[in-house]
Amino acid sequence: MDFSPLTDALASKSYEKIADICDDLMLKVAAEGIAFQDEWPYVIHLLGYYYVNDINSARFLWKSIPSTIKDSRAEVVAAWKIGQHLWTRDYAGVYDAIRGFDWSQEAQALVAAFSELYTKRMFQLLLSAYSTISTQDTALFLGMNEDDAAYSDVQQQGWTLDPASRMLTVKKQPLVTEQKLDPSKLQRLTEYVFHLEH
Amino acid sequence: MQSIENLVTQIQGLSSNASDITALKDYLKAAEDLLRSESTRLLSFLDQLDPSKHSLVINVCKRYKDQVLLLEAPIRGVGPMLTAIRKIQSSTEHLTTLHPEFLQLCLLAKCYKAGLSVLEDDIYEINLPRDFFLYCYYGGMIFIGQKRFRKALELLHNVVTAPMSSINAIAVEAYKKYILVSLIHHGQFSSTLPKYTSSAAQRNLKNFSQPYMELVNTYNTGKIAELETYVQTNREKFESDNNLGLVKQVVSSMYKRNIQRLTQTYLTLSLQDIANTVQLNSSKEAEMHVLQMIQDGEIFATINQKDGMVRFLEDPEQYKTCEMIEHIDSSIQRIMSLSKKLTAMDELISCDPLYLGKAGRERQRFDFDDFDSVPQKFNI
Repeated sequence: MDFSPLTDALASKSYEKIADICDDLMLKVAAEGIAFQDEWPYVIHLLGYYYVNDINSARFLWKSIPSTIKDSRAEVVAAWKIGQHLWTRDYAGVYDAIRGFDWSQEAQALVAAFSELYTKRMFQLLLSAYSTISTQDTALFLGMNEDDAAYSDVQQQGWTLDPASRMLTVKKQPLVTEQKLDPSKLQRLTEYVFHLEH
Repeated sequence: MQSIENLVTQIQGLSSNASDITALKDYLKAAEDLLRSESTRLLSFLDQLDPSKHSLVINVCKRYKDQVLLLEAPIRGVGPMLTAIRKIQSSTEHLTTLHPEFLQLCLLAKCYKAGLSVLEDDIYEINLPRDFFLYCYYGGMIFIGQKRFRKALELLHNVVTAPMSSINAIAVEAYKKYILVSLIHHGQFSSTLPKYTSSAAQRNLKNFSQPYMELVNTYNTGKIAELETYVQTNREKFESDNNLGLVKQVVSSMYKRNIQRLTQTYLTLSLQDIANTVQLNSSKEAEMHVLQMIQDGEIFATINQKDGMVRFLEDPEQYKTCEMIEHIDSSIQRIMSLSKKLTAMDELISCDPLYLGKAGRERQRFDFDDFDSVPQKFNI
């Protein structure tokens, strides 16, 4: 089986492409009638899905894995544990699942990258959903130690801590997305409106 | 291998002429065993067959699909089937007989993403009505699997409202799923079908889906305990229809619906009050529900843990961004091209002798002054 597109993507750290590469490869290999299940990199495939937040596809992949593989390869089961927590939205459990296994060398880089991305996503969620939040919950959501959460990263973002109640006040960052003004689009819209009004 | 090459030359040679086609069919039947063992190499040989000349390609593909299912390895068929579809289609707007077979393979192999590539195309041309029914039904199921409920509803709606002279099983199953997805996505279900639905459907669909209609009624009471009891008592019926998973999603959607209703009445509300109104066990559970809804974009709110309050906000979308302009522009483009297509179809139908015959017959007798260019009796 030719895994070169996959190894290339891993080497170049284009992790967001891994899910698609794995999907295409799997269909191609399956069409050739090869029994690919024993050698298939399920761990990478699952992690690729988590990276692009496609937990649905991860679930279906897990359902299709033969039970012999589930019994014999502990890493695959551990990788799915992460997915399980993502699916049930057990935010803190995801970190436990990530840290609770000694990942193989080929999986380590991807796991670390996913862990970082996940923490960023959770941070964005906290930003948008909370005006005040306890240090305890912040620590849970961001997978940090409670004291770390209170003092370092989060305070750097401008959140203020009220030591008496152990509550952090969230500082909303105004979202600045670059607005590339495309005059031709505006021109078209103006034409539509003109046309509709006459 | 030797024999497959022979087969291909035979196909190419015999497809030119009608009587030869029968001979070819027999030849293919005999070659079935060969096909079975060589199914793995079928893909490369499909390339050599030009589908417009070899209509038996469809038969070959169907046999292939049956083989693949027999071997309990549906995933093997997904790739080749997709290639076959692209080869047979005259354009991406053409629905072939292979489309529903392909989608069925995707569902069985759990390769939902592969099915999406085919479902993204808009369809304007159909060969057989049965293809259309199955395509929309399987397509609806794939979208349900991917949790894209709006698109699922579109497709299921098509099955239910398609022209049919008598009720068929596909429409009945589609209607059951249509009810459930409607509850999940819209939080409500209207049992009146649009006017363009066939009379067969209008009269019969509801009779076949009684438990589902009652589920709707229980849902509308807004009481989660009642809904859960109803689901428990009728569990077997839903299970035998393979709809239990969807029904469970309906139940969990009720919490969301109830929380959303609160946003219409309150500006701020305590987590404990939310828990009480929506019948959750604790304010922490309520907080988790609200957080999940914020994450999914189903609600705009901020949680204040210090005071245990939630403040509901307006949709911050200002419709001023580039993405919004892009979105509006592409929607207008799509509608314009759709409009052109409809005009073209309308012109085509107005020239159709069958239509003119019917229109002529049903026309009232007019005075000389009202005389129109369409004759009252149109003899073909």
